[in-house]
Amino acid sequence: MEFKLQYFDKQYSVTLEKKDDLYGVVINDEMKYQVSDFVRQQNIISFRLNETIYNIYFAEDRDKVYVAFGGDSFIFDLEKRTTAGARRPVEERGNSVSSPMPGLLVKVPVSLGDKVAAGATLAIVEAMKMQNELRAPSDGIVKKINFKEGDQIDAFQPIVELDIE
Amino acid sequence: MFKKILIANRGEIAVRVARACRELGVATVGVYSTTDKSAYHLRFMDDAVWIGDSPPQASYLNIEKIIDVTKKSGAEAIHPGYGFLAENAQFARACEDAGVVFIGPNSKALALVGDKVASRTTVKAIGVPIIPGMEGLTEEMSIFKNMAKEVGYPVIVKASLGGGGKGMRIVYNDEELESCVAAGRREAKSAFGDDSVYLEKYVDRPRHVEFQVLRDHQGNVVHLFERECSIQRRHQKIIEETPSQALDDKLRAKMGEAAKKVIEAADYTNAGTVEFLLDENKNFYFLEVNARVQVEHPITEMVTGVDLVRHQIMIAAGERITLKQDEVSQHGHAIESRIYAEDPENNFLPSPGKILTLVEPSGPGIRVDSGIYQGCDVPPQYDPILSKVIVWAETRSMSISRMSHALQHYIILGIRNNIGFLKRIMDTQKFIEGNYHTHFLDENEADLISKHDDIGIALIAATFIASEKKRVYDARAGTRAELQKSMTPWRELGHWEICGH
Repeated sequence: MEFKLQYFDKQYSVTLEKKDDLYGVVINDEMKYQVSDFVRQQNIISFRLNETIYNIYFAEDRDKVYVAFGGDSFIFDLEKRTTAGARRPVEERGNSVSSPMPGLLVKVPVSLGDKVAAGATLAIVEAMKMQNELRAPSDGIVKKINFKEGDQIDAFQPIVELDIE
Repeated sequence: MFKKILIANRGEIAVRVARACRELGVATVGVYSTTDKSAYHLRFMDDAVWIGDSPPQASYLNIEKIIDVTKKSGAEAIHPGYGFLAENAQFARACEDAGVVFIGPNSKALALVGDKVASRTTVKAIGVPIIPGMEGLTEEMSIFKNMAKEVGYPVIVKASLGGGGKGMRIVYNDEELESCVAAGRREAKSAFGDDSVYLEKYVDRPRHVEFQVLRDHQGNVVHLFERECSIQRRHQKIIEETPSQALDDKLRAKMGEAAKKVIEAADYTNAGTVEFLLDENKNFYFLEVNARVQVEHPITEMVTGVDLVRHQIMIAAGERITLKQDEVSQHGHAIESRIYAEDPENNFLPSPGKILTLVEPSGPGIRVDSGIYQGCDVPPQYDPILSKVIVWAETRSMSISRMSHALQHYIILGIRNNIGFLKRIMDTQKFIEGNYHTHFLDENEADLISKHDDIGIALIAATFIASEKKRVYDARAGTRAELQKSMTPWRELGHWEICGH
């Protein structure tokens, strides 16, 4: 079976093959592992790789797989759907700003028609008592403000949209 | 002793206080906001009362409502925990006016130490050193500018009613000053309901060492030694340990006595913490008094064997402290790691959401003070602290090793968290050597960000799980395709129902 896993901005093609009690895992055609003694129970899977037994907790939620290992948690997205996005800098998303986290829209220090420079603060969102300033991705004119101060907003919803010359 | 106490907080600290109450045979009343109706802390309460909508101002900061609920419940005292109303003198006064005991300092002492500016003046008068800076409050930007010039950049802007690093900003030049003061005011307003800020000289690369003090209404006072809290991100502690590597017995005794003097000068009662900055030459400066039970109180409990929350309740009930200064001592070494719902790889951005899997570490010398359970939602409205891991061992190095392994076996899946980051701090040579200061995280960032060396193993695990998921998806898709092929006239007729009545 072949499919794709995404971790942050990296995509991995993986294949899993079963032969008797052995599993072959190939990642990006270069990393090849032979795994045995695979057991899945509730929220933990165990397998043996190179004389070491790994017991790994996991969770699933819609198109995501969460894996805990060595104190870190890894979040993989299935197929080509994009990652949690929190990673993706707001600047990359063209002509609007949105919050990477859900929260309270504290302030929109701009008005419709305002001319703003790249890096100007367009909105301030607060979550868990931390204020996050959302800055203009480039020079432009404020075209649309989709929320008002005091609104609860979700992650990745455009808050302020710009007309970019 | 009280018969019933209302706990005006949420999360791990509400649980901690409820435990102390249970052990004293005191009944508890918990409170919750709309979003917290199935929060973890309520499982530990004898009774629970809704106090308002989810924004803190409507619930956990709603003084009138909390007093009202306390009176109706028949509770004789309120424990405020930390954060929210814990250091709000107006709240302490409202309790006094309503005839309810506020488990914390008397409102006068609270007002004094809560006012960072006034407490600086008081402390200066008794000969304990303070950091140069403003000794009065003002709205005037020009006074901020002049003071900054006088003490020299960098300076630090702090919330006058602050604590926990909220509303704090380091400022390096004149251009940044105005926006930093404004940002500090906004944050202070939202965290403490008051937007006054002040400015002082920023001491570079200091250690943050604080002393725990207890003082009863009869005037007995005892300090329970120090906590080293120099590992901070955004001026907020994330790891604390005791004893501090920076103190020898002589300096420890001197700072302990200074801490007691500060508490006495403020006529402070109950548990309080006197914070000091220690510069590179081991000069110490008074920073502020934290007039609450602190997040990091458990490490003091671990090395002294003194239950601080129980003492808070006993002192509030009018009992005497029976501990004598020469009878308390530090035994072994303790460390606390604070677990936050935040992403260390993305500027510590908060990460609210659902906890899908939760497995807590256990074993000798490991204590977890938690406010979460598997399946709970971590709401975006409150502080991102989830829980604390506290370890004790005979020596510092054993304690570090124990913490590292405890963190490795602490599983929280579903939201981003800082467990791996905390573990890497434990494994860092500079931390192990013990010679660090408050800039440790900034200076060692490169070592602390996950290198994802383990991605191979994690990918194998993910592959197994994903392959099963895919099998289920494919099977479902298959079923749908089959269904479409065998569409019957019934389906084409659309919605229909079996005749009933």
